[in-house]
Amino acid sequence: MDAAAKTNRVMERKPKNIFTQGAIDPAFIADSIANHSSKINIGGHSIFLGQVRADVINEKKVAAIEYTTYEELALEKMHVIREETFAKYELTCMHVHHSLGTVAAGEICLFVFTSSAHRRAAIDACNEVVERIKTELPVWGKELFEDETHQWKVNQ
Amino acid sequence: MMRVEVLFFGKLVDIAGASLVLNNVTSTDELLEQLRLQYPPLAAEKFIMAVDKKTISINTSLTDNCTVALLPPFSGG
Repeated sequence: MDAAAKTNRVMERKPKNIFTQGAIDPAFIADSIANHSSKINIGGHSIFLGQVRADVINEKKVAAIEYTTYEELALEKMHVIREETFAKYELTCMHVHHSLGTVAAGEICLFVFTSSAHRRAAIDACNEVVERIKTELPVWGKELFEDETHQWKVNQ
Repeated sequence: MMRVEVLFFGKLVDIAGASLVLNNVTSTDELLEQLRLQYPPLAAEKFIMAVDKKTISINTSLTDNCTVALLPPFSGG
């Protein structure tokens, strides 16, 4: 193994940061797709986009969600999810981006992107990763109402 | 003297603030007992605990300078 490959391996073992301050820009999503055009062994991509919904609760409308996390634990957990997903599915690559801070209704707060040679692996892995993010990542959403009161989000 | 940092997340921040330091607690059960005395609304809340980033499910002894996190149900995505 040459020095560059070694450095690369060490970097791969370090948990990647998945968090973005504020909403995820649709232009960033478009760029991420475009960046895969050089990987011509890919035959299918699967993408999940989470969008902040303006729920109405007791006649009050959700204006935004404010996300917080226990970052060190979340990044370690995401690293485990990533390794287990690569072990289980024949993926070419996988990218996860989750918002922190305030994301307004209508904006994107979660972007999961999996790619594989054949569609099934990308689709199944993407679904599983989204479910695992929802149940296993220490992230909390605070639903901010238009009148500046709040309630804590509960995942269904 | 034992120093234990306690971190609160999600809804629990509304009750107890983001963090505090407790001295002289030697186990997670003792720590919970103290926190519930200090913040009675905590008793009604559901959460799991992590000691130095490892989630625990049984009473766990604490060491000097350790960090205990109280994690309510996750609601990311």
